[in-house]
Amino acid sequence: MFNMSEQWRLLKTEDRTAYTNMAIDWAVLKANSRGLVPPTVRFYTWKPSAISIGYFQSLKEEVDLDMCKRLGVNYVRRITGGGAVYHEHELTYSIVIPESHPQISKNIMESYSRICGALIRGLKRLRINSQYVPINDVVVDGKKISGSAQTRKSKTVLQHGTVLLDVDVDKMFSLLRVPSEKIRDKLISDVKQRVTSIKHVLGEELSFEEVADAMKTGFEEEFNVELVDGGLTRTELEDSKRFEKNYFSSYEWNHRK
Amino acid sequence: MRLKSVYKIPNGKLLKVFLDYDPRSNLIRDISITGDFFAYPEESVELIERELRNTVVDRDVLFSKIKSIVERNGIEFIGLDVEGLTQGILMCLT
Repeated sequence: MFNMSEQWRLLKTEDRTAYTNMAIDWAVLKANSRGLVPPTVRFYTWKPSAISIGYFQSLKEEVDLDMCKRLGVNYVRRITGGGAVYHEHELTYSIVIPESHPQISKNIMESYSRICGALIRGLKRLRINSQYVPINDVVVDGKKISGSAQTRKSKTVLQHGTVLLDVDVDKMFSLLRVPSEKIRDKLISDVKQRVTSIKHVLGEELSFEEVADAMKTGFEEEFNVELVDGGLTRTELEDSKRFEKNYFSSYEWNHRK
Repeated sequence: MRLKSVYKIPNGKLLKVFLDYDPRSNLIRDISITGDFFAYPEESVELIERELRNTVVDRDVLFSKIKSIVERNGIEFIGLDVEGLTQGILMCLT
């Protein structure tokens, strides 16, 4: 007897802009909700580096826009809640899957835990032991190595998040606003204590491909599926261009709060 | 009068409320509820903001109004709750 596992689509899109990355995630969600594409896992990177803020955050409150301009860093509002993230040396993942899929819980917290389980298995392939910490973190020895955010639209789940390959806390804080300059140094040293990366844990830098391969296996094992390399459909490409123009690259969207 | 509060929800996320407040009538003119919390569906926060316009800034009034909007619309918060949101709004005036 063959044990044929379900096939999901795997996308790898390196070096896209913040606007394109957020637009692709939404376009895939839309296509999946219409039954046009299978559940999809995507691994991606950001070029230029960028800050993404949560759907409910105030852009000016969280981000030093002048510094972003000076350093050539983009900024974008996500369709998911959560906090501001500086995306530079990382693998970003996203997963899109129907809410009704047997592998996904109706309960949002349970589904965070399940999807983070795939990341934990992926990190294990890289000889890194990690744990899920609610609400949305994966930690190594108590230090955060990954953060995630989830939305549900049209009965479809989109969760995306980071796996830090390396981290530059000083640069991150030059781009994020802090409550007062007086506490900036304290905040930076606190965050340095609380955040880690694959490079820090292993003492060596791994490439995007190496980490993507490990994460691919992590998702396959966690969900008992086979991830098959694929590309975006024409509909997804068209939708993503439209979302990029009308939302993610627009002043109205990014400055709405 | 434009006011702001920053409130760390106990066991939750960081809530930042921006309030346009009329001190003579004790009414909310406009409100922006921001922070790193999660709300499902996301549009529900805009609904709460709209419904809170012209509401009296009073703990019991705010709590029951927000609770009613949340229950009526099946809103699910993560890292935020009705109590915390009420507190965040009241803190704008302290």
